[in-house]
Amino acid sequence: MSWRNIKLIFQREFRDQMRDRRTLFMIAILPLLLYPALGIGMVQMLVLFQEQPRTVVVLGENELPKQPPLLKAAAEGDGPRRFVESWFQIRSDAAKLDVFSDASVSGEDGEEVDPGIRQLIDDARQIRDKFREREALRSAPPDAETQTENRDRSAVPAATASHAAALAKANEELGSLFATSQIQVLIIVPEGFGRHIAAVNRQLRERAGEDSSVTDYERPIIVHNKANKKSQIAYTRVLESVTSWEKSILRDRLRMAQLPQTLHTPVNAESVDLARAEDMSDSFWSVLFPALLITMSLTGAFYPAIDLGAGEKERGTMETLLICPASRTEIVMGKFLTVLLFSMSTAILNLASMGLTGRYMLSLGGGGTLSNLGNLSPPSIQALMWVLVLLIPLAALFSALCLSLATFARSSKEGQYYLTPLLMVTMGLTIFCLSPAVEIEPFYSILPIVGPALLLKELLSSPQSAEPLVYAIPVLVTSVGYSLLALWWAIEQFAREEVLFREAERFELGLWIRHLLRDKEPTPSFAEGGFCFILIMLIQFAALKPFQVEILQAESAARVLQFQVIFLIVTIACPALFMSVMLTTNVFDTLRLRWPRWQMFAVAAVLPIVLHPLSVELLGRLEWFFPQLPEGSGRLFQSISDASLPLWFVLAAFAITPAICEELAFRGFILSGFCRSKRKWLPIVLSSIAFGIVHMIPQQVFNAALLGLVLGLIAVCSGSLFPAILFHFVYNSLQVLRGRIGSGWVHNSPAEWFFSPDAELIRYRWPTLLIAAIIAIVLLRWLVNQRLGVSGTIIAKVQIAAAEPGPLRETAAVENTSVQI
Amino acid sequence: MIHVEELTKSFTDLRRGSVNALEGVSFEVRPGEIFGLLGPNGAGKTTCLRILSTVLKPTSGHAAVAGYDVSQHPAEVRARIGFMSGNTGIYDRMTAREMVEYFGRLYDIEEQALQKRIGEIFTTLQMHEISDLLGSKMSTGMKQKVSIARTIVHDPPVLIFDEPTTGLDVLVARAVLKAIESLRDQGKCIVFSTHIMREVEKLCDRVAIIHKGRILTSGTMAELEQQHGESDMEELFFDLISRHDERVAAELA
Repeated sequence: MSWRNIKLIFQREFRDQMRDRRTLFMIAILPLLLYPALGIGMVQMLVLFQEQPRTVVVLGENELPKQPPLLKAAAEGDGPRRFVESWFQIRSDAAKLDVFSDASVSGEDGEEVDPGIRQLIDDARQIRDKFREREALRSAPPDAETQTENRDRSAVPAATASHAAALAKANEELGSLFATSQIQVLIIVPEGFGRHIAAVNRQLRERAGEDSSVTDYERPIIVHNKANKKSQIAYTRVLESVTSWEKSILRDRLRMAQLPQTLHTPVNAESVDLARAEDMSDSFWSVLFPALLITMSLTGAFYPAIDLGAGEKERGTMETLLICPASRTEIVMGKFLTVLLFSMSTAILNLASMGLTGRYMLSLGGGGTLSNLGNLSPPSIQALMWVLVLLIPLAALFSALCLSLATFARSSKEGQYYLTPLLMVTMGLTIFCLSPAVEIEPFYSILPIVGPALLLKELLSSPQSAEPLVYAIPVLVTSVGYSLLALWWAIEQFAREEVLFREAERFELGLWIRHLLRDKEPTPSFAEGGFCFILIMLIQFAALKPFQVEILQAESAARVLQFQVIFLIVTIACPALFMSVMLTTNVFDTLRLRWPRWQMFAVAAVLPIVLHPLSVELLGRLEWFFPQLPEGSGRLFQSISDASLPLWFVLAAFAITPAICEELAFRGFILSGFCRSKRKWLPIVLSSIAFGIVHMIPQQVFNAALLGLVLGLIAVCSGSLFPAILFHFVYNSLQVLRGRIGSGWVHNSPAEWFFSPDAELIRYRWPTLLIAAIIAIVLLRWLVNQRLGVSGTIIAKVQIAAAEPGPLRETAAVENTSVQI
Repeated sequence: MIHVEELTKSFTDLRRGSVNALEGVSFEVRPGEIFGLLGPNGAGKTTCLRILSTVLKPTSGHAAVAGYDVSQHPAEVRARIGFMSGNTGIYDRMTAREMVEYFGRLYDIEEQALQKRIGEIFTTLQMHEISDLLGSKMSTGMKQKVSIARTIVHDPPVLIFDEPTTGLDVLVARAVLKAIESLRDQGKCIVFSTHIMREVEKLCDRVAIIHKGRILTSGTMAELEQQHGESDMEELFFDLISRHDERVAAELA
């Protein structure tokens, strides 16, 4: 790979993009202009924004206690009244409620009362009457009770039903009355309320006996509608003021009763908040920056990538580039570096512009809730440095991914359609990362976008602590790994012949289906293999809910196992079998249903026995790395060790069925599909990743993926599914046995040399592990050396059958002879 | 210099199933001659030339250019050929000079030699006026000149032209053909595909007629005349094509 070529290509692409006036505008000028413009607009709107005052009606103002006063004394004219300001935490909130009381209407006769206000009071009175009606209905028992002796039983349900109907009607009328009136909150003060309060006060003051009936009086009622936003806002404010007023009455009572003021708050713990201003800012940046970084670097990578990939095709310069001496790898690397540069610049420019504008706006932005953030200190230099450092792996991943998609697309238009799903996936991951409960953990640190985002969040929110740095290495290493993977895929795309051709194919559903069914080949194609995996995942997802419900409700462990068997057959075996029959002409070859050499069976029987201790030990050591097991799976695994179930039954559910179903799918159909790619290890690796993912629980995913590699190796080297089924069956049986025999029996027996009873289930000591490892290595090496064995002949035979007379036959004959050796 | 043996290339198309673009194509080209590939549209000319330029891979068969096999050493092949077709465009936002310099550098030409060479080429092709003109502002003729300059900047021993006069007016086409002729006189090995008889008659030393992926006949004009008893290229061409089609129809019936 010549770095000179890469540099030449990078420089040319970069200069080309910079000469495009529109690109330059979008990337450089727009962020610098847009955010200040948005900021000014928002500030304008905030300044002009005024909350509408809400209407509160009080019926029975005269019954309120005079001291302390709830409402301000009526001013001149009959404008709206206000609550006393001291009842609100933010005094200006009092101005947001217009209070109208019946005292101002009924009091002055002869004076002209505003018809609107009169209407309000009338409506309020109607609502109050309707409300009392409803309460009467609710508390009155249905007539049935008084008449059971006289009438027969059949009348009882009728009477109850009619009562319920009347109640429902009353509710509805009440609701609609309230809705049509202009009232947001209605306060109904009962008659004599003030008098009762004074009576209690007097009793307290005079310590005159224990007449508890004094506190038995009708309470005021506050009517509101939670579903109506206006009413809800007004209610919150009214509640605030009424509660403060109530506290004041209580304080007066305590004073009158010569009791300490703090009687009703014996604990009254003082809350001490250690957060400093910088900490608040840090917390703010730690949420804002990761989100922005991800969004900006993705969008900044996307459009240049489309232009450099699909756009090159459309402009007719692709072929010119491909005939020059630069290799495809060098071309992709040069383009990648260009996209990377644009991605990072976009992110940095946008962040800087948004940050400065935001800070400026917040320092302007009036009172209210925003004033808390007004003193936002800028992020520290250290924080900025971390932002830049973690920007690189994120931008690299996105650049490589976007370039691959752009090369894969046949036209710029098609390429742009890929943005939406990409954006949605990354947005989803970002929101997950930003929720406060999510922290960086060993498992999360190796996930692609989640790792860097969480690390950045931790580093920004607690800049002093060095704890998150522990995760820096895994995050950076895996991020580089993912970028390289994406880059490899981009190079693969570029190396295909289709990169030249930009025809938009006219997609015809009928033709495509006919092609699928007519031009069937003996074994499935790569895409069909991949689709089978996706189909299995979808069916599992759809069946998950009913399946989980059944498991949790199952009467016995036996039922649980039955469901497990059905689940496996339906979600894994059926799609694979169905697709094999429908889409291929040779089901036996697709599913590798042929008899292998006996040595393969021997290996497949011994290998799981030696690999089992190794994998148990490995999983045990990695316990700390994986997140906790979810609840539902616990029940399933309990049934393994449930002694009441016969062994054969448990084996059938956990060993035989999964062995057959999963092998048919993953080492049968899916592996055959992936084997089309003609690369030596890719089919095995891909099918084991798919196999791992299907297990969904992280510990199992890891374990299954590793075993999948061995199973894939067995299937490919023996050319047959049966040894793989045997391996799977033996391995799962060992798991079952381990669960059932527990660990107690190991004590004081010669087996103590080999097994350790430390945990609930037996673990293996190092002599066992050593022996197991040696045997495993020997067997695996033997397998790998068999690679060009039986499978080669089979492929050659198929080719000969399909070939036309001519040069192909020669090639096939050559392959054949080499195999015999 | 160019050695093609039993070249076969098949594509899969959704509509038509598997299509053989080339079937057992074989020919040879020596230095200092222009070899014409004559055939109707869809005959397989572009596919054949793309395989020679290593952009496509053959399904079977061998091709060797300037001593290197196109499948085994594609990078060596690309360093020794100059390729021009209707699909090799020029960059919109680069000037003529920048374009030729860019490719010159990719061909590993040392800077001073490159500038000298560019000066020579521009003089020969009369490109000095458009030297600083952006690609998007050029006329078709100018673009063609830039393409030619790009093709010969590294003085390759083998040159491949795929219908180079498509869309050009008479004057420009003539200039292009003159340029190709002078390259032959310099001892280059040139493959030239076209469907215009006049060009074949004026330029080509040897000709192969290709139809539906197969070579129907090949040789110098004199040999073809002798073989088929027809001196007019056009008539010869139509005869061969129609006879081939009749034969194929008869086999299917």
